[in-house]
Amino acid sequence: MPKHMTKSEDTMKERLLTLLQEEPGRYWSGEELSRLLGCSRTAVWKQMQNLRKDGYEFDSAPRRGYRLTGEPSRMSAAELAACLRTKTIGRSLKLLEQVGSTQTHIHELVRQGCPEGTLVLAEEQTDGRGRMGRHWHSPKGKGVWMSFVLKPAIPLACTSQLTLLTAVALCRTIRRETGVEAGIKWPNDLLARGKKFSGILLESGAEDNRLTHVVFGIGIDANLTEADYPDELKERATSLRIESGAAVDRVQLVCRFLEQFEELYDLYLREGFGPIRTLWEALSVTLGRHVRVQTPTGSVDGTAEALDESGALLVRTREGERVRVFSGDVSL
Amino acid sequence: MFKLSEIKELIKLVDQSSLEELEIQNEGSKLLIRKPGKPEQIVVAAQPAVPAAAYAAPQAQPAAPQVSVHSEVNVESPAADKSHLHTIASPMVGTFYHAPSPDAPPYVSAGSRVKEKTVVCIVEAMKLMNEIEAEVNGEIVEVLVENGQLVEYGQPLFLVKPE
Repeated sequence: MPKHMTKSEDTMKERLLTLLQEEPGRYWSGEELSRLLGCSRTAVWKQMQNLRKDGYEFDSAPRRGYRLTGEPSRMSAAELAACLRTKTIGRSLKLLEQVGSTQTHIHELVRQGCPEGTLVLAEEQTDGRGRMGRHWHSPKGKGVWMSFVLKPAIPLACTSQLTLLTAVALCRTIRRETGVEAGIKWPNDLLARGKKFSGILLESGAEDNRLTHVVFGIGIDANLTEADYPDELKERATSLRIESGAAVDRVQLVCRFLEQFEELYDLYLREGFGPIRTLWEALSVTLGRHVRVQTPTGSVDGTAEALDESGALLVRTREGERVRVFSGDVSL
Repeated sequence: MFKLSEIKELIKLVDQSSLEELEIQNEGSKLLIRKPGKPEQIVVAAQPAVPAAAYAAPQAQPAAPQVSVHSEVNVESPAADKSHLHTIASPMVGTFYHAPSPDAPPYVSAGSRVKEKTVVCIVEAMKLMNEIEAEVNGEIVEVLVENGQLVEYGQPLFLVKPE
Protein backbone atom coordinates (compact mmCIF):
# COMPACT_ATOMS: atom_id res chain seq x y z
CA MET A 1 0.00 0.00 0.00
CA PRO A 2 1.45 3.40 -0.90
CA LYS A 3 2.38 5.31 2.21
CA HIS A 4 0.11 8.25 1.45
CA MET A 5 -2.97 6.03 1.31
CA THR A 6 -4.85 6.16 4.57
CA LYS A 7 -6.60 3.32 6.26
CA SER A 8 -10.06 4.76 5.60
CA GLU A 9 -9.24 5.10 1.92
CA ASP A 10 -8.19 1.51 1.87
CA THR A 11 -11.45 0.43 3.48
CA MET A 12 -13.32 2.52 0.95
CA LYS A 13 -11.53 0.77 -1.87
CA GLU A 14 -12.61 -2.56 -0.45
CA ARG A 15 -16.21 -1.43 -0.04
CA LEU A 16 -16.24 -0.14 -3.58
CA LEU A 17 -14.94 -3.43 -4.82
CA THR A 18 -17.54 -5.36 -2.83
CA LEU A 19 -20.30 -3.29 -4.41
CA LEU A 20 -19.00 -3.76 -7.91
CA GLN A 21 -18.63 -7.49 -7.41
CA GLU A 22 -22.13 -7.89 -6.00
CA GLU A 23 -23.84 -7.91 -9.35
CA PRO A 24 -21.42 -8.85 -12.06
CA GLY A 25 -22.01 -7.09 -15.32
CA ARG A 26 -24.12 -4.31 -13.84
CA TYR A 27 -23.24 -0.67 -14.45
CA TRP A 28 -22.98 1.66 -11.50
CA SER A 29 -23.15 5.41 -11.95
CA GLY A 30 -20.63 7.59 -10.19
CA GLU A 31 -23.45 9.34 -8.39
CA GLU A 32 -24.90 6.09 -7.12
CA LEU A 33 -21.52 4.89 -5.89
CA SER A 34 -20.70 8.13 -4.15
CA ARG A 35 -24.08 8.02 -2.34
CA LEU A 36 -23.66 4.37 -1.26
CA LEU A 37 -20.10 4.89 -0.09
CA GLY A 38 -20.77 8.26 1.48
CA CYS A 39 -17.99 10.07 -0.34
CA SER A 40 -17.43 12.44 -3.23
CA ARG A 41 -17.42 11.33 -6.84
CA THR A 42 -13.80 12.38 -7.03
CA ALA A 43 -13.03 10.00 -4.17
CA VAL A 44 -14.86 7.19 -5.97
CA TRP A 45 -12.88 7.90 -9.11
CA LYS A 46 -9.64 7.87 -7.14
CA GLN A 47 -10.41 4.48 -5.62
CA MET A 48 -11.37 3.20 -9.04
CA GLN A 49 -7.89 4.14 -10.19
CA ASN A 50 -6.41 2.33 -7.21
CA LEU A 51 -8.34 -0.80 -8.08
CA ARG A 52 -7.10 -0.51 -11.65
CA LYS A 53 -3.57 -0.47 -10.33
CA ASP A 54 -4.36 -3.67 -8.47
CA GLY A 55 -5.30 -5.27 -11.77
CA TYR A 56 -9.07 -4.91 -11.80
CA GLU A 57 -10.58 -4.01 -15.12
CA PHE A 58 -13.55 -1.72 -15.78
CA ASP A 59 -15.35 -0.29 -18.64
CA SER A 60 -17.29 2.91 -18.49
CA ALA A 61 -20.20 3.97 -20.67
CA PRO A 62 -21.65 7.45 -20.94
CA ARG A 63 -24.65 7.93 -18.64
CA ARG A 64 -24.47 4.36 -17.41
CA GLY A 65 -21.34 4.50 -15.30
CA TYR A 66 -18.76 1.87 -14.47
CA ARG A 67 -18.79 -1.87 -14.80
CA LEU A 68 -16.33 -4.42 -13.47
CA THR A 69 -15.08 -6.52 -16.36
CA GLY A 70 -12.08 -8.32 -15.05
CA GLU A 71 -10.62 -9.53 -11.80
CA PRO A 72 -6.87 -9.47 -11.49
CA SER A 73 -4.93 -12.61 -12.06
CA ARG A 74 -2.06 -10.75 -10.47
CA MET A 75 -1.20 -10.23 -6.88
CA SER A 76 -0.16 -6.80 -5.72
CA ALA A 77 2.47 -6.10 -3.13
CA ALA A 78 0.18 -3.43 -1.67
CA GLU A 79 -2.65 -5.89 -1.25
CA LEU A 80 -0.34 -8.42 0.36
CA ALA A 81 1.11 -5.90 2.75
CA ALA A 82 -2.36 -4.69 3.72
CA CYS A 83 -3.70 -8.19 4.25
CA LEU A 84 -0.76 -9.70 6.11
CA ARG A 85 -0.88 -9.79 9.90
CA THR A 86 2.45 -11.31 10.84
CA LYS A 87 5.18 -10.05 13.13
CA THR A 88 8.25 -10.95 11.10
CA ILE A 89 7.58 -12.90 7.93
CA GLY A 90 6.83 -10.69 4.96
CA ARG A 91 7.44 -7.43 6.81
CA SER A 92 9.90 -6.92 4.03
CA LEU A 93 8.43 -8.27 0.85
CA LYS A 94 9.16 -8.30 -2.82
CA LEU A 95 6.73 -9.35 -5.53
CA LEU A 96 8.36 -10.05 -8.87
CA GLU A 97 6.63 -10.33 -12.20
CA GLN A 98 9.06 -13.00 -13.32
CA VAL A 99 12.10 -14.63 -11.79
CA GLY A 100 14.30 -17.64 -12.46
CA SER A 101 13.60 -19.05 -9.03
CA THR A 102 12.42 -17.26 -5.88
CA GLN A 103 14.72 -19.56 -3.94
CA THR A 104 17.81 -18.55 -5.87
CA HIS A 105 16.74 -14.92 -5.70
CA ILE A 106 16.38 -14.89 -1.94
CA HIS A 107 19.76 -16.55 -1.45
CA GLU A 108 21.21 -13.52 -3.17
CA LEU A 109 19.26 -11.21 -0.84
CA VAL A 110 20.56 -13.16 2.14
CA ARG A 111 24.11 -12.64 0.92
CA GLN A 112 23.38 -8.93 0.77
CA GLY A 113 22.21 -9.03 4.38
CA CYS A 114 18.42 -8.78 4.05
CA PRO A 115 16.42 -8.76 7.29
CA GLU A 116 14.93 -11.89 8.82
CA GLY A 117 11.46 -12.58 7.47
CA THR A 118 12.16 -11.20 4.00
CA LEU A 119 9.67 -12.68 1.54
CA VAL A 120 9.98 -13.03 -2.21
CA LEU A 121 7.02 -13.95 -4.40
CA ALA A 122 6.84 -14.22 -8.15
CA GLU A 123 3.97 -14.40 -10.59
CA GLU A 124 6.09 -16.67 -12.74
CA GLN A 125 9.23 -18.75 -12.30
CA THR A 126 11.13 -19.67 -15.42
CA ASP A 127 13.45 -22.00 -13.57
CA GLY A 128 11.47 -23.10 -10.52
CA ARG A 129 13.24 -25.90 -8.74
CA GLY A 130 12.59 -28.63 -6.24
CA ARG A 131 14.78 -31.14 -4.48
CA MET A 132 18.07 -32.02 -6.17
CA GLY A 133 17.64 -29.51 -8.97
CA ARG A 134 14.36 -30.98 -10.17
CA HIS A 135 12.20 -28.67 -12.23
CA TRP A 136 9.09 -27.15 -10.64
CA HIS A 137 6.41 -26.17 -13.14
CA SER A 138 5.40 -22.59 -12.21
CA PRO A 139 3.24 -20.89 -14.87
CA LYS A 140 2.37 -17.22 -14.77
CA GLY A 141 -0.29 -15.95 -12.41
CA LYS A 142 -1.54 -19.41 -11.53
CA GLY A 143 0.22 -20.34 -8.39
CA VAL A 144 2.00 -19.22 -5.29
CA TRP A 145 5.72 -19.34 -5.83
CA MET A 146 7.51 -17.93 -2.83
CA SER A 147 10.52 -18.04 -0.56
CA PHE A 148 11.26 -16.47 2.78
CA VAL A 149 14.17 -16.47 5.18
CA LEU A 150 14.38 -17.00 8.94
CA LYS A 151 17.28 -17.15 11.34
CA PRO A 152 16.17 -19.56 14.05
CA ALA A 153 18.34 -19.99 17.13
CA ILE A 154 18.05 -23.78 17.15
CA PRO A 155 20.63 -26.56 16.91
CA LEU A 156 21.60 -27.38 13.37
CA ALA A 157 20.59 -31.00 13.88
CA CYS A 158 16.97 -29.94 14.57
CA THR A 159 16.59 -27.82 11.46
CA SER A 160 14.96 -30.52 9.38
CA GLN A 161 11.98 -30.47 11.78
CA LEU A 162 11.10 -27.14 10.21
CA THR A 163 10.25 -28.84 6.93
CA LEU A 164 7.56 -30.85 8.71
CA LEU A 165 6.35 -27.73 10.49
CA THR A 166 6.00 -25.94 7.16
CA ALA A 167 3.91 -28.77 5.77
CA VAL A 168 1.62 -28.72 8.82
CA ALA A 169 1.09 -24.96 8.57
CA LEU A 170 0.30 -25.15 4.87
CA CYS A 171 -1.94 -28.18 5.16
CA ARG A 172 -4.00 -26.62 7.95
CA THR A 173 -4.32 -23.36 6.03
CA ILE A 174 -5.46 -25.07 2.86
CA ARG A 175 -8.06 -27.16 4.65
CA ARG A 176 -9.41 -24.09 6.37
CA GLU A 177 -9.33 -21.69 3.42
CA THR A 178 -10.34 -23.93 0.55
CA GLY A 179 -12.01 -26.95 2.09
CA VAL A 180 -9.73 -29.22 0.07
CA GLU A 181 -8.97 -32.41 2.01
CA ALA A 182 -5.24 -32.00 1.96
CA GLY A 183 -2.89 -34.51 3.53
CA ILE A 184 0.86 -34.68 4.07
CA LYS A 185 3.09 -37.25 2.46
CA TRP A 186 6.38 -37.62 4.31
CA PRO A 187 8.19 -35.43 4.73
CA ASN A 188 6.35 -32.43 3.35
CA ASP A 189 4.52 -32.93 0.07
CA LEU A 190 0.86 -31.95 0.11
CA LEU A 191 -1.58 -34.22 -1.65
CA ALA A 192 -5.26 -34.20 -2.48
CA ARG A 193 -6.83 -37.44 -3.74
CA GLY A 194 -3.31 -38.83 -4.00
CA LYS A 195 -2.07 -36.07 -6.30
CA LYS A 196 0.52 -33.51 -5.37
CA PHE A 197 -0.37 -29.82 -5.39
CA SER A 198 2.38 -28.34 -3.27
CA GLY A 199 6.05 -28.81 -2.64
CA ILE A 200 8.27 -27.46 0.08
CA LEU A 201 12.04 -27.17 -0.04
CA LEU A 202 14.23 -25.79 2.70
CA GLU A 203 17.83 -24.74 2.27
CA SER A 204 20.02 -23.75 5.13
CA GLY A 205 23.42 -22.28 5.67
CA ALA A 206 25.75 -22.94 8.56
CA GLU A 207 28.94 -21.48 9.89
CA ASP A 208 31.15 -23.25 12.43
CA ASN A 209 28.41 -25.84 12.90
CA ARG A 210 25.93 -23.12 13.76
CA LEU A 211 22.82 -22.48 11.76
CA THR A 212 22.95 -19.05 10.16
CA HIS A 213 19.69 -19.01 8.21
CA VAL A 214 17.01 -21.17 6.65
CA VAL A 215 15.37 -20.37 3.34
CA PHE A 216 11.84 -21.73 2.99
CA GLY A 217 10.73 -22.37 -0.58
CA ILE A 218 7.07 -23.10 -1.18
CA GLY A 219 5.21 -23.81 -4.38
CA ILE A 220 1.42 -24.10 -4.36
CA ASP A 221 -0.55 -25.03 -7.44
CA ALA A 222 -3.43 -22.71 -6.66
CA ASN A 223 -5.32 -21.87 -9.84
CA LEU A 224 -3.83 -24.11 -12.47
CA THR A 225 -6.37 -25.78 -14.71
CA GLU A 226 -5.99 -29.16 -16.42
CA ALA A 227 -4.75 -27.30 -19.47
CA ASP A 228 -1.88 -25.77 -17.51
CA TYR A 229 -0.25 -29.13 -16.84
CA PRO A 230 2.10 -30.82 -19.23
CA ASP A 231 1.12 -34.42 -19.97
CA GLU A 232 3.79 -35.95 -17.79
CA LEU A 233 2.38 -34.15 -14.74
CA LYS A 234 -1.36 -34.66 -15.34
CA GLU A 235 -1.43 -38.02 -13.58
CA ARG A 236 0.48 -36.92 -10.51
CA ALA A 237 -0.34 -33.25 -10.02
CA THR A 238 -3.43 -31.27 -9.22
CA SER A 239 -4.38 -27.77 -8.13
CA LEU A 240 -6.59 -26.29 -5.44
CA ARG A 241 -8.85 -24.92 -8.15
CA ILE A 242 -9.28 -28.35 -9.73
CA GLU A 243 -9.93 -29.89 -6.31
CA SER A 244 -12.28 -27.26 -4.90
CA GLY A 245 -13.95 -26.17 -8.12
CA ALA A 246 -13.32 -22.52 -7.37
CA ALA A 247 -10.52 -20.06 -7.99
CA VAL A 248 -8.35 -19.40 -4.97
CA ASP A 249 -7.58 -15.91 -3.74
CA ARG A 250 -3.81 -16.22 -3.69
CA VAL A 251 -3.24 -13.15 -1.54
CA GLN A 252 -5.54 -14.50 1.16
CA LEU A 253 -3.90 -17.90 0.92
CA VAL A 254 -0.39 -16.49 1.27
CA CYS A 255 -1.33 -14.27 4.20
CA ARG A 256 -3.29 -16.89 6.12
CA PHE A 257 -0.51 -19.40 5.56
CA LEU A 258 2.24 -17.11 6.79
CA GLU A 259 0.19 -16.24 9.88
CA GLN A 260 -0.42 -19.90 10.60
CA PHE A 261 3.24 -20.66 9.99
CA GLU A 262 4.36 -17.96 12.39
CA GLU A 263 2.00 -19.23 15.06
CA LEU A 264 3.34 -22.79 14.81
CA TYR A 265 6.92 -21.56 14.57
CA ASP A 266 6.52 -19.65 17.84
CA LEU A 267 4.99 -22.76 19.40
CA TYR A 268 7.94 -24.81 18.15
CA LEU A 269 10.49 -22.38 19.59
CA ARG A 270 8.66 -22.44 22.93
CA GLU A 271 7.78 -26.12 23.26
CA GLY A 272 9.90 -28.00 20.79
CA PHE A 273 8.96 -30.53 18.14
CA GLY A 274 6.43 -32.50 20.25
CA PRO A 275 3.26 -30.53 19.41
CA ILE A 276 4.29 -30.15 15.76
CA ARG A 277 4.84 -33.88 15.47
CA THR A 278 1.36 -34.56 16.82
CA LEU A 279 -0.19 -32.17 14.31
CA TRP A 280 1.86 -33.70 11.52
CA GLU A 281 0.72 -37.20 12.43
CA ALA A 282 -2.92 -36.09 12.41
CA LEU A 283 -2.58 -34.78 8.84
CA SER A 284 -0.35 -37.55 7.52
CA VAL A 285 -1.38 -39.74 4.63
CA THR A 286 1.82 -41.76 5.03
CA LEU A 287 1.64 -43.37 8.47
CA GLY A 288 0.15 -46.82 8.70
CA ARG A 289 0.47 -47.32 4.96
CA HIS A 290 2.69 -49.51 2.91
CA VAL A 291 5.39 -47.37 1.37
CA ARG A 292 8.34 -47.67 -0.90
CA VAL A 293 11.07 -45.16 -0.26
CA GLN A 294 13.56 -44.58 -3.01
CA THR A 295 16.80 -43.49 -1.36
CA PRO A 296 20.04 -42.66 -3.13
CA THR A 297 21.47 -46.02 -2.10
CA GLY A 298 18.48 -48.24 -2.81
CA SER A 299 14.85 -48.61 -1.89
CA VAL A 300 13.16 -49.50 1.36
CA ASP A 301 9.82 -51.31 1.35
CA GLY A 302 7.60 -51.62 4.36
CA THR A 303 4.99 -50.09 6.59
CA ALA A 304 5.43 -46.47 7.62
CA GLU A 305 5.08 -46.81 11.37
CA ALA A 306 5.93 -43.50 12.94
CA LEU A 307 7.98 -40.35 12.97
CA ASP A 308 10.92 -40.35 15.30
CA GLU A 309 11.76 -37.34 17.45
CA SER A 310 13.93 -35.85 14.71
CA GLY A 311 11.22 -36.14 12.07
CA ALA A 312 12.72 -39.16 10.31
CA LEU A 313 10.30 -41.80 9.03
CA LEU A 314 10.42 -45.20 10.70
CA VAL A 315 9.66 -47.97 8.26
CA ARG A 316 9.10 -51.59 9.33
CA THR A 317 10.26 -53.91 6.61
CA ARG A 318 8.73 -57.30 5.87
CA GLU A 319 11.72 -58.90 7.60
CA GLY A 320 10.74 -57.02 10.75
CA GLU A 321 13.61 -54.60 10.67
CA ARG A 322 12.91 -50.99 11.60
CA VAL A 323 14.65 -48.56 9.28
CA ARG A 324 15.03 -44.83 9.86
CA VAL A 325 14.63 -42.86 6.67
CA PHE A 326 16.08 -39.37 6.44
CA SER A 327 15.63 -38.65 2.77
CA GLY A 328 14.13 -40.17 -0.29
CA ASP A 329 11.04 -40.26 -2.46
CA VAL A 330 8.10 -41.96 -0.87
CA SER A 331 5.54 -43.75 -3.03
CA LEU A 332 2.34 -44.79 -1.33
CA MET B 1 36.85 -43.28 28.89
CA PHE B 2 34.07 -45.62 27.92
CA LYS B 3 33.40 -48.77 29.89
CA LEU B 4 33.94 -52.03 28.09
CA SER B 5 30.30 -52.97 28.71
CA GLU B 6 29.19 -49.71 27.09
CA ILE B 7 31.37 -50.32 24.07
CA LYS B 8 30.00 -53.84 23.72
CA GLU B 9 26.44 -52.51 23.90
CA LEU B 10 27.20 -49.88 21.28
CA ILE B 11 28.78 -52.40 18.94
CA LYS B 12 25.65 -54.49 19.21
CA LEU B 13 23.45 -51.50 18.42
CA VAL B 14 25.53 -50.42 15.46
CA ASP B 15 25.66 -53.97 14.21
CA GLN B 16 21.87 -54.24 14.21
CA SER B 17 21.36 -50.86 12.60
CA SER B 18 21.90 -49.60 9.10
CA LEU B 19 24.52 -47.20 10.39
CA GLU B 20 27.87 -47.25 8.68
CA GLU B 21 29.62 -45.43 11.39
CA LEU B 22 29.00 -44.10 14.89
CA GLU B 23 31.06 -41.53 16.68
CA ILE B 24 30.54 -40.44 20.26
CA GLN B 25 32.45 -37.80 22.12
CA ASN B 26 32.30 -37.75 25.88
CA GLU B 27 34.46 -35.77 28.29
CA GLY B 28 37.48 -35.72 26.07
CA SER B 29 37.17 -39.32 24.92
CA LYS B 30 36.10 -40.20 21.47
CA LEU B 31 34.66 -43.49 20.33
CA LEU B 32 34.39 -44.33 16.68
CA ILE B 33 32.73 -47.49 15.39
CA ARG B 34 32.84 -47.99 11.67
CA LYS B 35 31.50 -50.77 9.47
CA PRO B 36 33.47 -50.86 6.23
CA GLY B 37 31.58 -53.76 4.70
CA LYS B 38 31.40 -56.31 7.52
CA PRO B 39 34.36 -56.54 9.85
CA GLU B 40 33.77 -54.01 12.62
CA GLN B 41 36.58 -51.95 13.88
CA ILE B 42 36.56 -49.91 16.97
CA VAL B 43 39.01 -47.17 17.69
CA VAL B 44 39.04 -45.41 20.98
CA ALA B 45 41.23 -42.38 21.06
CA ALA B 46 41.84 -40.69 24.36
CA GLN B 47 41.75 -36.91 24.18
CA PRO B 48 42.44 -36.55 20.50
CA ALA B 49 43.87 -33.16 19.68
CA VAL B 50 43.12 -33.60 16.01
CA PRO B 51 40.24 -35.95 15.21
CA ALA B 52 41.58 -36.81 11.78
CA ALA B 53 44.35 -38.97 13.16
CA ALA B 54 41.92 -41.38 14.73
CA TYR B 55 40.37 -42.12 11.37
CA ALA B 56 43.62 -43.24 9.83
CA ALA B 57 43.47 -46.56 11.64
CA PRO B 58 40.35 -48.12 10.03
CA GLN B 59 42.12 -48.18 6.67
CA ALA B 60 43.93 -51.29 7.89
CA GLN B 61 40.91 -53.53 7.12
CA PRO B 62 41.40 -56.30 9.71
CA ALA B 63 40.09 -59.75 8.92
CA ALA B 64 38.30 -60.11 12.23
CA PRO B 65 36.47 -57.64 14.46
CA GLN B 66 38.94 -55.98 16.68
CA VAL B 67 38.99 -53.47 19.47
CA SER B 68 42.04 -51.31 19.78
CA VAL B 69 42.54 -48.71 22.41
CA HIS B 70 45.26 -46.21 21.89
CA SER B 71 45.98 -42.57 22.39
CA GLU B 72 46.81 -39.95 19.84
CA VAL B 73 50.59 -40.08 20.23
CA ASN B 74 50.71 -43.75 19.24
CA VAL B 75 49.69 -43.04 15.68
CA GLU B 76 53.10 -42.62 14.16
CA SER B 77 53.14 -43.94 10.65
CA PRO B 78 54.26 -40.93 8.61
CA ALA B 79 52.30 -42.06 5.55
CA ALA B 80 49.10 -42.17 7.51
CA ASP B 81 49.77 -39.08 9.55
CA LYS B 82 46.87 -36.81 8.81
CA SER B 83 47.13 -34.76 11.96
CA HIS B 84 47.93 -31.60 10.03
CA LEU B 85 44.74 -31.93 8.04
CA HIS B 86 41.47 -30.21 8.74
CA THR B 87 38.39 -32.42 8.91
CA ILE B 88 35.07 -31.21 7.60
CA ALA B 89 32.47 -33.10 9.58
CA SER B 90 28.75 -33.45 9.08
CA PRO B 91 26.78 -31.19 11.40
CA MET B 92 23.71 -33.41 11.18
CA VAL B 93 22.33 -36.82 10.29
CA GLY B 94 21.31 -37.03 6.67
CA THR B 95 22.14 -37.94 3.12
CA PHE B 96 25.41 -36.72 1.68
CA TYR B 97 25.34 -35.22 -1.82
CA HIS B 98 28.47 -34.14 -3.62
CA ALA B 99 26.54 -32.05 -6.18
CA PRO B 100 23.45 -29.83 -6.26
CA SER B 101 21.72 -32.18 -8.71
CA PRO B 102 22.38 -35.64 -10.15
CA ASP B 103 23.65 -34.29 -13.47
CA ALA B 104 25.73 -31.48 -12.01
CA PRO B 105 29.46 -31.86 -11.46
CA PRO B 106 30.57 -32.36 -7.84
CA TYR B 107 31.13 -29.23 -5.78
CA VAL B 108 34.66 -30.42 -5.01
CA SER B 109 36.85 -33.47 -5.41
CA ALA B 110 40.33 -34.43 -4.26
CA GLY B 111 42.69 -31.69 -5.36
CA SER B 112 40.08 -28.91 -5.42
CA ARG B 113 41.13 -25.59 -3.95
CA VAL B 114 38.64 -24.30 -1.40
CA LYS B 115 38.09 -21.12 0.54
CA GLU B 116 36.31 -20.78 3.87
CA LYS B 117 32.99 -20.03 2.19
CA THR B 118 33.26 -22.63 -0.58
CA VAL B 119 30.31 -25.00 -0.54
CA VAL B 120 31.73 -28.53 -0.50
CA CYS B 121 28.57 -30.63 -0.29
CA ILE B 122 24.95 -30.83 0.79
CA VAL B 123 23.60 -32.92 3.63
CA GLU B 124 19.86 -33.53 3.32
CA ALA B 125 17.37 -34.58 5.93
CA MET B 126 13.62 -34.41 5.36
CA LYS B 127 14.03 -32.16 2.35
CA LEU B 128 16.14 -29.68 4.22
CA MET B 129 19.19 -29.16 2.08
CA ASN B 130 22.04 -27.99 4.26
CA GLU B 131 25.00 -26.52 2.45
CA ILE B 132 28.29 -27.34 4.11
CA GLU B 133 31.15 -24.88 3.76
CA ALA B 134 34.86 -25.66 3.84
CA GLU B 135 35.60 -23.41 6.84
CA VAL B 136 39.29 -23.21 5.90
CA ASN B 137 41.34 -22.11 2.94
CA GLY B 138 43.21 -25.01 1.41
CA GLU B 139 43.05 -28.06 -0.76
CA ILE B 140 40.75 -31.07 -0.53
CA VAL B 141 42.93 -34.11 0.11
CA GLU B 142 40.31 -36.77 0.42
CA VAL B 143 36.54 -37.22 0.10
CA LEU B 144 35.65 -39.71 2.80
CA VAL B 145 32.06 -40.56 1.86
CA GLU B 146 30.18 -41.69 -1.20
CA ASN B 147 27.52 -39.64 -2.94
CA GLY B 148 24.10 -40.59 -1.58
CA GLN B 149 25.50 -42.17 1.57
CA LEU B 150 23.79 -41.70 4.94
CA VAL B 151 26.08 -39.75 7.24
CA GLU B 152 25.90 -39.41 10.98
CA TYR B 153 26.28 -36.38 13.17
CA GLY B 154 29.97 -35.49 13.42
CA GLN B 155 31.03 -37.95 10.73
CA PRO B 156 34.10 -36.74 8.83
CA LEU B 157 33.29 -35.91 5.21
CA PHE B 158 36.46 -34.36 3.84
CA LEU B 159 40.10 -33.94 4.73
CA VAL B 160 41.53 -30.57 3.81
CA LYS B 161 45.15 -29.49 3.74
CA PRO B 162 44.97 -25.97 5.14
CA GLU B 163 47.03 -23.23 3.53
